[in-house]
Amino acid sequence: MIINTCSGAMSFAKDLENESAQFYQNLSQRLVKDKDIFLSFVKENGEYIMQIERAYYGVITDAIEGCFAFNIDTEEYAIRMDLAEKANYSEALAKAIEIEEKIIKFYSDAAEQSKSLMADVPRAFKMVAKKRNNRYSILKSLLSQ
Amino acid sequence: MAILEESIKEVMELKNYINGEWVESKSDQIWDVFNPATRKLLARVPMSTKNEVMAAIKAAQEAFPEWRRTTPLARARCLFRLKELLEKNFEQLSRVQTMEHGKTIDESRGETRRGIEMVEVGTGIPSLMMGYNLEDIATGIDEYVIYQPLGVFGHIAPFNFPFMVPLWYSPFALATGNTFIVKPSPRDPISQVKLAELVDEAGFPPGVYNLVHGGAEVAQILMEHPDIKGITFVGTTSIGKEVYRKCGETCKRAIVQVSAKNFLLVMPDADIDATIAALLTSFFGNTGQRCLSGANLVIVGKEDGFYRNFLNRFLEATSKIRVGYGLDENIQMGPMQSVDGKERVIKYIETGMKEGAKIILDGRKPTITGDYPDTCFVNPTIFENVTPDMRIGKEEIFGPLASVMRAEDLDEAINMANNSNFGNAASIFTSNGKAAREFQYRVECGNIGINIGIVAPMAFFPFSGMKDSFFGVLHGQGRDAIRFFTESKVVIQRWF
Repeated sequence: MIINTCSGAMSFAKDLENESAQFYQNLSQRLVKDKDIFLSFVKENGEYIMQIERAYYGVITDAIEGCFAFNIDTEEYAIRMDLAEKANYSEALAKAIEIEEKIIKFYSDAAEQSKSLMADVPRAFKMVAKKRNNRYSILKSLLSQ
Repeated sequence: MAILEESIKEVMELKNYINGEWVESKSDQIWDVFNPATRKLLARVPMSTKNEVMAAIKAAQEAFPEWRRTTPLARARCLFRLKELLEKNFEQLSRVQTMEHGKTIDESRGETRRGIEMVEVGTGIPSLMMGYNLEDIATGIDEYVIYQPLGVFGHIAPFNFPFMVPLWYSPFALATGNTFIVKPSPRDPISQVKLAELVDEAGFPPGVYNLVHGGAEVAQILMEHPDIKGITFVGTTSIGKEVYRKCGETCKRAIVQVSAKNFLLVMPDADIDATIAALLTSFFGNTGQRCLSGANLVIVGKEDGFYRNFLNRFLEATSKIRVGYGLDENIQMGPMQSVDGKERVIKYIETGMKEGAKIILDGRKPTITGDYPDTCFVNPTIFENVTPDMRIGKEEIFGPLASVMRAEDLDEAINMANNSNFGNAASIFTSNGKAAREFQYRVECGNIGINIGIVAPMAFFPFSGMKDSFFGVLHGQGRDAIRFFTESKVVIQRWF
């Protein structure tokens, strides 16, 4: 599906955050050793939603290109966020890394597409992409341990 | 993509809000309010009787002395409470607008945000309403100016921004110590009912803010009544002239913001991608039903290649616009607000064809996303080879129709814009600062955009307008509004 509207992009971002939060919630129960890290990711996801919504609701006006700011093909960011029952530690982390790559790509692409149109929203997207890059590094280091 | 939940669940029987009470009208003239996308009945609105309008005027008049004595700080606090309530109800208010007007949810949220910004500016009234002074205009004599409220103001609202437009005025009127009566458009009055509910909850004293439903007869009473000190009106030029004349006859202040035919110039050095997105918003946002919408697209330059390439890009992007119910988050353009509106657009399309313009995108047989009746829907339409003397090139259409013109150079394009009777907004898309300055300097319009498709001034700037797009002296919003809603009093003092 192609998303062009800001409202659509916001909802898609929220879905990604909620689904990935659920993924990390499950991970925290499966990989108890790193439980605190995964639960902190869940909390961060909630904060990202709040920050993105704050940017959107604060800046949206009838004058900017709210209905024409994006050209997002959701298929490009589609990823299953469930974990195979028998997945071991490395496989679970590899899945998390794969999820983060997709989500970072979404935020980066969406920010780039709308940078000259939507004011604060691409900035919020960029910020989330940056923070998720930190998370990506944490996951990578866990995998290499 | 999901369709958002509707915020109006049952048919509403709308009441007037007079003297802090919700009062049922005794009128037997009732209009139906429909959702233009689904055609579901949303509400029944009364055409209030003369007695009901008089009761509102009396309540506002009686509330005035106490309200003007209320300190600016206390008045501002009422507005702060209103602002909090508006934020709390942001989404519900936005969905009501989409349901009764038809605009997309992004557009409705944008309208809600703009409305709240007016309230925010009003909260600054202790600073904004300050006068000024000079000591020793002669030895031992000082002079100062103070600003005082006048009394009761009335607002006659349009249908195209059912939530926001009344807020161009009411926060400024109330903050400066005046009392206020709003007459919403009977086509989409629910947003104003929701707003009045929040005004009530915010604790404004009874009679300070009143809402009376109705049509032209209610407006007439407001315009003629001697206790109304001023009228603000947004609508068409023909009715606006009548409003301005009536206000003159009864010595009222007036802000009359009316029709438009806005020119958007695209220079060969424009950033094409960003310009196309801005043009789509300008021509087809709010389904073209706004006085700041683009109407005439002038592609500037002698080169056929640029003209053809740009037009093709615009056509391609326009033809992809998804039309449907605005509560579907992926919809980019909603229906016209009314059947009349759709018929008007279709008549203009037929007129354009008869006048010899070339139709390159015909919106008369709408493609709609979702299963909705096509009663109010029309798709985006583009004409090329339009000239400024054609009716589609010079009259306000107020719908999603773009008339494409061509000019050899900037000079010719500016002259085309300046020959229009209207002077609401004009924009240029260019990366050349000199061309932009020349445009800003010469074009005869009140709101100028440079690489901006919709030149909507922020709440702290005046919403300007010229020629047949505005009648009055002071504009809505910003410092102009503060001056409009206050009388200046000069004091010269000497103490022996």
